[in-house]
Amino acid sequence: MPTNILTIWVEDYTTDLYKWALHKVSSKELAQDLVQETFLSAAEKTATFKGKSSPKTWLFSILNHKIIDYYRRKVYQTVSFEDQTFSNFFNHNGSWQEQRKPSDWHIEDESNLLDNPEFQQVLKNCLDALPQKWSTSIKLKYLMEKNGEEICQELGLTPSNFWQIVHRAKVQLRDCVEKNWHD
Amino acid sequence: MITKIMQILFLSCSKATSIIEKQFHFRLSFIEKLQLSAHKSMCKACTNYEKQSRVLEQTIQQQLKEHDVEVNVTKLKEEIIIKLTNK
Repeated sequence: MPTNILTIWVEDYTTDLYKWALHKVSSKELAQDLVQETFLSAAEKTATFKGKSSPKTWLFSILNHKIIDYYRRKVYQTVSFEDQTFSNFFNHNGSWQEQRKPSDWHIEDESNLLDNPEFQQVLKNCLDALPQKWSTSIKLKYLMEKNGEEICQELGLTPSNFWQIVHRAKVQLRDCVEKNWHD
Repeated sequence: MITKIMQILFLSCSKATSIIEKQFHFRLSFIEKLQLSAHKSMCKACTNYEKQSRVLEQTIQQQLKEHDVEVNVTKLKEEIIIKLTNK
């Protein structure tokens, strides 16, 4: 297939593909990379495009594969990470280390925090401070808009593996928020 | 010894918080629910943890929904076309 047809598709579909990718991965740089890769793959695989579906549907299916691949890589990297930081939080009996114990935030209704811009900013900073693969694991449920079982199925993880990853990331995140959040 | 028995009956904090996270994604078994509520009834720190972790969960969900999709794709289109031409 000549490049000029692809050029027309780039013109027509980049915006929609990019918006979708951004919605799914919540990172601009990453979404741009994924859309680029989508068109590069499309250029290589044009022979498989028979025109049975619309070009748009075809491009979206390539993009969706790339997104799932990305999640899969992220989560598998997370599985292999070192246990060390976790022992900062719990001692060998599994009890909280004294200085890491979740303290009372002294808020009558925690859901009020949802509308608090300062709290939101602290959370954002703490998410950014986490290694990216960890923050991805926490966001996965909302990004993929799927439940735990479906996520595990799609990424080829066991449920216990999956929630242990989330557990570690979340313990770290909560601690960061507590240390940086002043009422 | 007592700590060991307590841990089996009432879970350690490490295990309790992992079940707290599990419940956001999966259904807990009857035993897990029982163990968790027994643990929380004795552990202020994990009770705090659960409340706070749930708020974090809700806030993250909210932030991702509000994600700004206002985008300028002109530059992206140019980059893609350059890459396609250079292939």
